[in-house]
Amino acid sequence: MTIATPDWVLKVERLGKIYGPATQASLDDTGPAHGTSKSPATGAIVSAWDVSFEVAAGEALGVIGESGSGKSTVMRCIAGDQPATSGTVRLRSVADGDVNILDLDPARRRSLRVDHLSVVYQDPAEGLRLGVTAGGNVAEALTAAEWRHFGRIRDRAAELLARTEVPLVRMDDLVRTFSGGMRQRVQLAKALANNPPLVLLDEPTTGLDASVAAGVLDLIRNLLEELGIAAVVVSHDFAVIEMLTTRTIVMHHGRVVEAGLTDQLLEDPHHPYSQRLVAAARA
Amino acid sequence: MTTSPDLVLSVHDLRKHFVLHSVDARRVDALNGIDLTVHAGEHVALAGSSGAGKSTLLKSIYRTYRPSSGSVQLTLRDNRVVDLTALSDAELAMLRGQEIGYVSQFLRAEPRRGALEIVARAGVRRGMSRDEARDAAAVALRRLNIDEMLWDVYASVLSGGEKQRVNLAAGTISPPRLLLLDEPVSALDPTNRDAALELIGELTAQGVAVLAVFHDLDAMERLATKVVLLRDGRVVSAGEPSVVLSELTGVAR
Repeated sequence: MTIATPDWVLKVERLGKIYGPATQASLDDTGPAHGTSKSPATGAIVSAWDVSFEVAAGEALGVIGESGSGKSTVMRCIAGDQPATSGTVRLRSVADGDVNILDLDPARRRSLRVDHLSVVYQDPAEGLRLGVTAGGNVAEALTAAEWRHFGRIRDRAAELLARTEVPLVRMDDLVRTFSGGMRQRVQLAKALANNPPLVLLDEPTTGLDASVAAGVLDLIRNLLEELGIAAVVVSHDFAVIEMLTTRTIVMHHGRVVEAGLTDQLLEDPHHPYSQRLVAAARA
Repeated sequence: MTTSPDLVLSVHDLRKHFVLHSVDARRVDALNGIDLTVHAGEHVALAGSSGAGKSTLLKSIYRTYRPSSGSVQLTLRDNRVVDLTALSDAELAMLRGQEIGYVSQFLRAEPRRGALEIVARAGVRRGMSRDEARDAAAVALRRLNIDEMLWDVYASVLSGGEKQRVNLAAGTISPPRLLLLDEPVSALDPTNRDAALELIGELTAQGVAVLAVFHDLDAMERLATKVVLLRDGRVVSAGEPSVVLSELTGVAR
């Protein structure tokens, strides 16, 4: 490296996820060139294949593509929500990056979600328990990290909810009674509870009203800038990617078709699919 | 490699073509082998008619466009020379924060942020402390005559000329080593234009290397130490502003 850049926090190499026979035949007739991620020969679905990237502290990487492109699969394989078929995923915070976390036993893998990486899902029901209060949801993340003192847990939860702009008068209300935008704010508070070095955001504003989405997006932007954490932002929406990220990868039929600086991908996309995606966004 | 001590930017045989896949993979040659240099304290103005490649050249240097071939050598503050076309995306993103400023002609304001915030954050990205950046941003906005009443109003609702000045303030706060300007004063009235040109002139005098596109000859005459005339993505003439500009007026008028 000529220019000193911060060390990676997350390094993904040749990550793959295949449903069905993980054979060469399944790879040979899938991908952008074949216009499908389902192999005609073997019936396997190649959700993601040969996906590699790094993210550094203070950096946000975008993953863009249409529904079914494999972008959420990549995120879920990193998070541990789904087992990967192949590849390596390393976190700097785990054995200084020497361990492929895909090889960890399930209990150890789950424990990474306490304070090594957290996820903000499109559907708050995936990241929160709707029948628990906002404060209770955040407290769960804290108790998982061995916080024991009730008063301190409550203070920290209040601090986090204030930070994500959840009115404190709602702290003891069930998340079920919250609007969509407010649920996302509670998810963010919970995700940041134990200061993880890495946050994965999967379509964090999709499905929200435009004005509410804008508020949540602004909050995420400010948090990422201020906390200096590494982030992966999965979205089909160029406006979200443009606002939050510096670099982006484009996925299509389970493969990465292009990677670049976000402004370069928007103004000078090279791959035919990236050009179509940008043209559609700009129309 | 031999470079004179104050050489900042050296572009060699830079080419850029676009392949438009939606139109039968049509190839458009935008830059056809550009050579130019910019030294510290030099203001090089790019001239030529629309479509000559002026903006494409700036964007290819900044790497908003990915150059097809050639080299773009930047001498860093520590005197190391790097080829911007060969750096990784992460490396380039880092340099953009530290050494290269780019002010575009398009007034796309950051969504839902006030002018002071936008300019201050640009300063923080260049390594200033939060307080330092806020002070510097206030100075810059005042200098470019942005009414203090507007500092915390979302920049997206400001007038075209105001946005352009916010843009310029953000691009020049904590001056970068290389400043790329793409019609930075095109939307400004005479008084504000004058203030903006004065600022650009001062930065050049302080040693910033400036590569700029202005659509008016007057700005070029006032600021440029050298003019490079482009046509069809090639340099057709370069040198003394008065000489090249008289050539240009012969061509354009």
